[in-house]
Amino acid sequence: MTAGDGLPATTSRRGLLVGLAVGLPVIAFGVRGALVDGSRTHPGELARWIVGAAVVNDLVLVPVVLAAGWLGRRLVPGDLWPSVRAGLVTTGVLALVGWPFVRGYGADPRNPSLLPRSYGAGLAAAIAVVWVVVVALSLARRARERHRHDPPTHDRGVRGGSKGCH
Amino acid sequence: MSGGSPASGPRWLAALRRRYTSDLHDTRSAAWLGIALGVAFGVCFATGVWSHLAQHPPGWFTYPARPAGLYRITQGAHVITGTAAIPLLLAKLWVVHPHLLAWPPARSLLHGVERLALLPLVGGALFLLLSGTANVARWYPWSFFFPRAHFWAAWITIGALIVHVGAKAAATRDALRRGTARRADPGSAPSPASAASGSPPDPVAPASPLPADRRAFLGGVAAASAALVVATAGGTVSPLGRLSVLAQRRPGVGPQGLPVNKTAAAARVLAPARDPAYRLAIEGAVARPVALSLSDLQALPQREATLPIACVEGWSASARWRGVPVRDLLALAGAGPRAEVTVESLQPSGLYRSSTLNPGQTADADTLLALALGGEPLHIDHGYPARLVGPNRPGVSQTKWVHRLVVR
Repeated sequence: MTAGDGLPATTSRRGLLVGLAVGLPVIAFGVRGALVDGSRTHPGELARWIVGAAVVNDLVLVPVVLAAGWLGRRLVPGDLWPSVRAGLVTTGVLALVGWPFVRGYGADPRNPSLLPRSYGAGLAAAIAVVWVVVVALSLARRARERHRHDPPTHDRGVRGGSKGCH
Repeated sequence: MSGGSPASGPRWLAALRRRYTSDLHDTRSAAWLGIALGVAFGVCFATGVWSHLAQHPPGWFTYPARPAGLYRITQGAHVITGTAAIPLLLAKLWVVHPHLLAWPPARSLLHGVERLALLPLVGGALFLLLSGTANVARWYPWSFFFPRAHFWAAWITIGALIVHVGAKAAATRDALRRGTARRADPGSAPSPASAASGSPPDPVAPASPLPADRRAFLGGVAAASAALVVATAGGTVSPLGRLSVLAQRRPGVGPQGLPVNKTAAAARVLAPARDPAYRLAIEGAVARPVALSLSDLQALPQREATLPIACVEGWSASARWRGVPVRDLLALAGAGPRAEVTVESLQPSGLYRSSTLNPGQTADADTLLALALGGEPLHIDHGYPARLVGPNRPGVSQTKWVHRLVVR
């Protein structure tokens, strides 16, 4: 850490100064544009959405994910956790993105070509496919591990059953 | 990212920081995800500005008429890349979440500025992906006009991203160059110099996580991105049409097999579009203003072109159009082929009731006043009696129910 500048070890002082020199005018351009175009951007409401998105992510979404991870690592065998975790992440983002489609907020009965699918059934099917893949990966992993622990001709010694977890 | 000694700050904060037990909250995970996000947001920004230039060209810029399918590619890439970035951004914010609890919040003015710039970066990036996704779902839980808010928020976010990339480029390069990772808990990261010289690792930092777990973690995030893309991209990548269970459109679904953005009923043109007294007026800077009925238009030499409708919301679909080249219509009125033309719809109101053809677009033989789609007269929702369709144009600029061409 550079003495006295209070910056963390991962921050380059020079890089930050260059970044500020280039980036601040770009931020200012965006802020100015939003203000000048205020009748359409509604700057106060836009600012609330931007700040609110960060606050909701940091204080709600990430803590929920951290808690799910804490719980998952206690409930799921260590060697299977990476694939279960990937399944949970995929399920989560599919559900987040799919939510407004499932609720049909944007549907227009006069325009049947807009949002034409059964989104609830589609989302359920997508999540089912994700978990079929997770189970298949888990079974394949267990089969590999068994094979490794049960060498037919010579003993390769004991290896940790859980590889690459936690 | 920012630092702070793990021992500093209120005791409850220190206790909270110790709860981040995963080894994945480190600089290598942050570096990989950061690079992927940098590329994704770069693509989204470039294609987004391109789309803005296509719809609101400033004086110094001439939007090209060719290649015909360019806009469908740039806008498809915009929406697909933004969608793919959702898991990347959420994963990245999860990785660096411990840094939120750094204490003191700012150890110097510069440190404070660096951290403050994270608010427009994090909030802006989340807002862009959230608002873009909501727009594709046609969900507007706000009162502002989405395209403008999204556009200006993008400049704010990209500015904050430039600050962040400047600050973290060296550490990112450094983290990826080393074979083993180290933990980037607040204040626990050794300086790049000590890592390079092989000095013992910071005693606070636990053993490096196994590369296999990070690979599995990043692989899982990439899988989530891929799943989202497959689930949404079928509106423009038609082979995925059946698999894209969360796509706004389905290829082939719509009147005459083509999706519709705005219906004739919604545009309130049902009566004027079907009025037998319909005339297309060609006026403005012309030698002799002309008014043509639908049968007059049908009697003119027709031209066929296969051109996509490419919506800003990411879906696109090709169709076979037949109609009269706009430049031929201008010739009837005694105007040259290289003119700027305002194309006006019967729509009584709405932001997209008219569009502009620049001289290059007017001169293109495939810029048609289309009367037929797939060999049949246009369905009223596709712009009957006549609509504009031209190469490389955003869907909102393919004006429907055209009744006036004004030469500038």
